[in-house]
Amino acid sequence: MDFASKLTPEFGLVGLVVEAILFSVAGIVVLITFIAVRRWYRGRYFQRLNERTFALRSQWNDILSGKVSAAAWRLKRLDCEIVEAMLLDRLELAALPEELPPLLNCLRTSGLLDMRIYQARAEGGWKRRAALIALGRTRAPEAVPALADALDAPEEETRIAAVRGLGHTELAEAAIPVIEYLLWGSQPIPEHIIKNALVNCCHSSPGILLRYLKQSTGRPRAVLARVLGELATAELGEDLILLATDGDAEVRASAARAMGNSQPSLALPVLSVMVTDAEWFVRLRAVVALASINHSARIRPLVRALCDSNRHVRLRAAWALAQLGSNLDDIFHQVVETQDNYALQAFTSELERSGAIEDLVKALQKKDCQNQAHQILLETLQATRQNIAQGAKVLSASAGAR
Amino acid sequence: MGALLNLSNDTLFVYYLASNLIYLALLITAVWRNTWHRRRLASLRLERLQVSPFTPPITLIVPAHNEEGFIVESVRALSELYYPDLEIVVVNDGSRDNTLLRLKTAFQLRAARLLYLPQIATARVRETYKSDVDPRLLVLDKESAGSKSDAINAGINAASSPYVCVVDADSILEKESLLRIMAGVFSDSHPVVAAGGIVRVLNGCELTEGELRKVGLPRHSIEIMQVIEYLRAFLIGREAWAYFKALPIISGAFGIFSTDLVRQVKGFRPQAIGEDFDLVVRMHRLLHEQEKDYHIAFVPDPTCWTEVPSDLRSLARQRARWHKGLIDTLWPNRDMLFRRRYGRVGWVLLYMWVFEFIAPLVELVGYSTIILAAVLGVLSRQFFVLFLIFGYAFATLISIGSVLLEEMTYRRYSDWREVGRLLFFCLFEHFPYRQMTMFWRLRGIWQYLRGDLAWGEIKRTQTSSELTQK
Repeated sequence: MDFASKLTPEFGLVGLVVEAILFSVAGIVVLITFIAVRRWYRGRYFQRLNERTFALRSQWNDILSGKVSAAAWRLKRLDCEIVEAMLLDRLELAALPEELPPLLNCLRTSGLLDMRIYQARAEGGWKRRAALIALGRTRAPEAVPALADALDAPEEETRIAAVRGLGHTELAEAAIPVIEYLLWGSQPIPEHIIKNALVNCCHSSPGILLRYLKQSTGRPRAVLARVLGELATAELGEDLILLATDGDAEVRASAARAMGNSQPSLALPVLSVMVTDAEWFVRLRAVVALASINHSARIRPLVRALCDSNRHVRLRAAWALAQLGSNLDDIFHQVVETQDNYALQAFTSELERSGAIEDLVKALQKKDCQNQAHQILLETLQATRQNIAQGAKVLSASAGAR
Repeated sequence: MGALLNLSNDTLFVYYLASNLIYLALLITAVWRNTWHRRRLASLRLERLQVSPFTPPITLIVPAHNEEGFIVESVRALSELYYPDLEIVVVNDGSRDNTLLRLKTAFQLRAARLLYLPQIATARVRETYKSDVDPRLLVLDKESAGSKSDAINAGINAASSPYVCVVDADSILEKESLLRIMAGVFSDSHPVVAAGGIVRVLNGCELTEGELRKVGLPRHSIEIMQVIEYLRAFLIGREAWAYFKALPIISGAFGIFSTDLVRQVKGFRPQAIGEDFDLVVRMHRLLHEQEKDYHIAFVPDPTCWTEVPSDLRSLARQRARWHKGLIDTLWPNRDMLFRRRYGRVGWVLLYMWVFEFIAPLVELVGYSTIILAAVLGVLSRQFFVLFLIFGYAFATLISIGSVLLEEMTYRRYSDWREVGRLLFFCLFEHFPYRQMTMFWRLRGIWQYLRGDLAWGEIKRTQTSSELTQK
């Protein structure tokens, strides 16, 4: 430390270190004091919160009906926070439509809703974001314009809060600003949040998505199609056929997903074609959709999908077929007829996974005396089981040796 | 001789100052980020995520080697996690105890000849089992290759979800932890390829049937020191590095990874001692080389509770192993230093070389030369004493900062006395605990250089049955 010692008289390094020590010790004292004071303050706050919540809860019906004037709680900060939290919780939990009007009425007449709209427009930072989320939870139509305005905020967090808020409203009109932002907005918002908001808003009117889908391109189009894939109903049937032939594979995949909710007479011919699509994930979606359609005509395209070149499609098709239960022996027969070993292995493996294999063995054993073909099927099944087990061991051993 | 000693002491001075100043910067960043995250959580509705059709499936991979005491409770607890689409893959990694038997009995396992494609090379998988009581459960019985990574890789091969989450069999995940970690993934405007949650110390907590009932501080000082270390490492270090988009590690006890990417980097390196650190660095390397836009995130609220060593011997082994793991990853990736293509990750690795890897060596040399200089009379004793006091006070300030962060954000230790104890033990973390860890880390370096790469047994204090009785 000679270097430091020599510098001491000139630069006061010792003094600097002493200052640093004082800074550190002061920092320690400040932190410990802060922790202690914060704990004490929080303890008091929660005690008071508890007392006021109890008091307000006991007058809850009167607050809602207006017998207790809003002036009695609205201008007291803690009371106002408690009542708002209770109102918003009730709004979210309301199972019946008739439960909503008195809650919304209370929000409106007390001016709470106006206050939140004002905050969402005029405030900044976390206060604005909290207001946006609260507005969304009110599910009030008049909240939508203020929420939509916030989509143009420069901060990503505010935009996220606005999209979440719009999603929380679950109103069809709230979907429009979200979609328009998705199509023409300049700043990024995480896709997952947009998709969730759109699912919430469009569940009763998926036609909105379709309208915008027709005028969109690129990634936004794929996002809209994906959401539509979750929400599409039988009413959209004809339009879905158009989407099933779209040039964008993501859109076709979503159309395939949506077909799962359509009438079998409409969906089956389309899905039977889609299981031969050039893109593997479109074929995969078609297989999943076929699995959800309750019609015997789905077996043939599923068996065809079982011979797919893509492993994921084969496994999904096997899963779909293994779920059919009652006709397993016939299905197995069809699978054997394909003379595709991969298909056979995928199907047998899925039967093992689902535990249905023993049922199939029993079914084939029962019919053994009547039909020699079943004996062959049974032997094929046992051989495949053996092959899979051995194959897994060999693959595993050779991979280990690499 | 005197000049040499002076040079050494001056170097130590600068080194120590730089180390503390960097940590102070990380602390300030972490306070800001944690507060920000806490506020963000207010707008999050986990129940909506739970019912969202866009929440992707996750495969939980549980490597189990001689875990008969914990495994059933652990799997039960995992199967009760709140998440819409879960697959649980338990890999019995050549256990010599009754791990497999206990699983078979508890979950009515049946051997199922399933297609298993080993995209990542592992030791041989002897058998696969499906559960008759929980269709989400798949058990792989494999030969042991002597490494946890090999078991995890087998699980990755069997995984069918776009994300895998690796969980230690003796760790406890909080019920909402998966939803919370995925909420962090979805809120990011960059594609998140991996995310880590916080790991906290289980010792001292009360458990019933694999579920955390009450959070508490452990009794022994050695365990409390580790509580402070974990708080500092996760709430300060990880949070700040993740903010700078250069998180170099996701804890092996709890983290989620993109399945495709893990397969692309050929899974966990079986020979790696610090397999979690090694994997994340290789992911950074690949994604930088491919010039991909990505983010490896840290989400501070999803929590995993894990048991830490409660005796000095086990702790010494663990710390030596961690240091071996550090060297084992830093050395093969040394070409990432000072290369623009690796961006900030290269700088964080440099930090790890300078302030983590060689830290025990610098400290050892520093202590030796200071003592020697004092003996030879070439040291300003006044300055020496002041510097020691400063070093101690500043480091203690950082430790208390981590307790403050815990207080400001997640407040898992709600009792006044527990916080008081935490603060009290902060005073001892930098003397003598720090010197003990220095010695263990030095031993790790020595063992690595000798080629001793064994994990070493960690003694456990609690079995599941004991925990249940609490």
